[in-house]
Amino acid sequence: MRPQLFALFLCAAVAAPAVLALEIDLPPETAQFKPSALPGYELVQRNCMLCHSVHYIQSQPPQSPRGYWEATVKKMRKPFGAPFPESEVPAMVDYLVKTYGAERPAAGGK
Amino acid sequence: MTQFTKPLPSAASLLQRRAFLKQAGALGAAGVLGGGTALTAMAAAPSRIALPFDNGERELVAYPQKRPLILLTARPPQLETPFSIFDDGEITPNDAFFVRYHWSGIPTAIDLQDYRLNVGGNVAKPLALTLDELKQLGEAVEVVAVNQCSGNSRGLLTPRVNGGQLGNGAMGNARWTGIPLRKVLEHAGIKAGSVQISFNGLDTPPLGDGPDFVKALSVDQAMDGEVMLAWQMNGADLPMLNGYPLRLVVPGHYGTYWVKHLSDITVLDHPFEGFWMNPAYRVPDNAGASTAPGVAPAKTVPISRFNVRSFITNLADGAQVHSGRPLEVRGIAFDGGYGITEVAFSADGGRSWQSARLGKDLGRYSFRRWSIAFTPTRKGAHELKVRAVNRIGQSQPIDPLWNPAGYMRNVVESTHIVAV
Repeated sequence: MRPQLFALFLCAAVAAPAVLALEIDLPPETAQFKPSALPGYELVQRNCMLCHSVHYIQSQPPQSPRGYWEATVKKMRKPFGAPFPESEVPAMVDYLVKTYGAERPAAGGK
Repeated sequence: MTQFTKPLPSAASLLQRRAFLKQAGALGAAGVLGGGTALTAMAAAPSRIALPFDNGERELVAYPQKRPLILLTARPPQLETPFSIFDDGEITPNDAFFVRYHWSGIPTAIDLQDYRLNVGGNVAKPLALTLDELKQLGEAVEVVAVNQCSGNSRGLLTPRVNGGQLGNGAMGNARWTGIPLRKVLEHAGIKAGSVQISFNGLDTPPLGDGPDFVKALSVDQAMDGEVMLAWQMNGADLPMLNGYPLRLVVPGHYGTYWVKHLSDITVLDHPFEGFWMNPAYRVPDNAGASTAPGVAPAKTVPISRFNVRSFITNLADGAQVHSGRPLEVRGIAFDGGYGITEVAFSADGGRSWQSARLGKDLGRYSFRRWSIAFTPTRKGAHELKVRAVNRIGQSQPIDPLWNPAGYMRNVVESTHIVAV
């Protein structure tokens, strides 16, 4: 394209009416927690997915220890404001570390 | 989990949204945006990529206004740029630019008739500007600048650090168009005794009690003439997921300060103490911003400027090349704004180094391209390394540094190739 033509094209683009709004549709969220007989399975579906997708959990380093999961679940309550009761924390932590962390059966967990 | 088929913020958060956002959503549904058709991601064959660390398998997903990118999290959307894109040029295209959010209450519809930038706090004249009014406050300026996530490359750390498990693709380089923040602050008139300025955007915690994502800069930095309020990147409106209609651009500084969907600028007569300044986004207060793995730092400071980084972009780890045949090795380098002055290349694992040729200079905040001719003279494995130096002599460590949050990785990168 010759430079003059390119310049004209740019002018035309600038003269076009500006976009005054923008709206997007996000793609569907498909990630799910791994099914488990552990009591925490039901709890994490309700308590974690209220605010964020499962990716936050399933992408963590597989050797993440119980201490990490406990600190993180507690952080979600305070200061992050998740509305689940403190009594549900132990079962959630147990499911998370045994399903995604250092205590997975595949990791030689206890 | 059928009850969460759409990655929308919770009902509670929708109720909390500011009035104009609700209005924007309602207007969009009524068809103001051309028949009510929102921009939707293009259908694409699902594909996957493996980042080079344990549990690094990821989907590539096309979000609205984006090509397929590496999906870190869906709600909120967090997307990493596939590294091969950095070989295409100094500028990262808008549709390939990484996306990082903290909370899932993100705006998906914004109407400029309702959008306002509020400037308040310790000022002589509080402002509530439309985007057009903001643009009238002064001459538009441009800067080419890298934006990089504080936790870029976190997944590559040893020992591993929890948090967003990113490869090297949470960075990008764009030409930003906007107005210096200083112009806006001068218009509002900063009162005596002001020390910091906080910045808030339209993204919100989904449940109300969580700490809103708010960042702060010193008055001196905010007034340095370089910090910018940008409405365009690479000549086009910001994509929604990169902060439409306005974001803070803090050249040379980590992306945590580049607040998206900027809505509130507040001048403060005291240091801002919100969660996202303290305890979040802190680094050890020492030269390498590092500690021995597992050791808590004695003192921390807010993360600030980029350190020096450099990468090979045209050869991936494990690539096969022809022995005895010349090839060009090329890549990018950048730093926190002093400017890259030298890039050295090693084809023997760091035993000997040669200076690479630097590419076009797009400014001291930009990616700088580099290239060098290399002919593998023997068959077998070769360890390529690249190391950059900036104008004040800062460079990259041969051995990786580590800190508890996994920020600021800038080790001399190694690329292992095989000549056949």
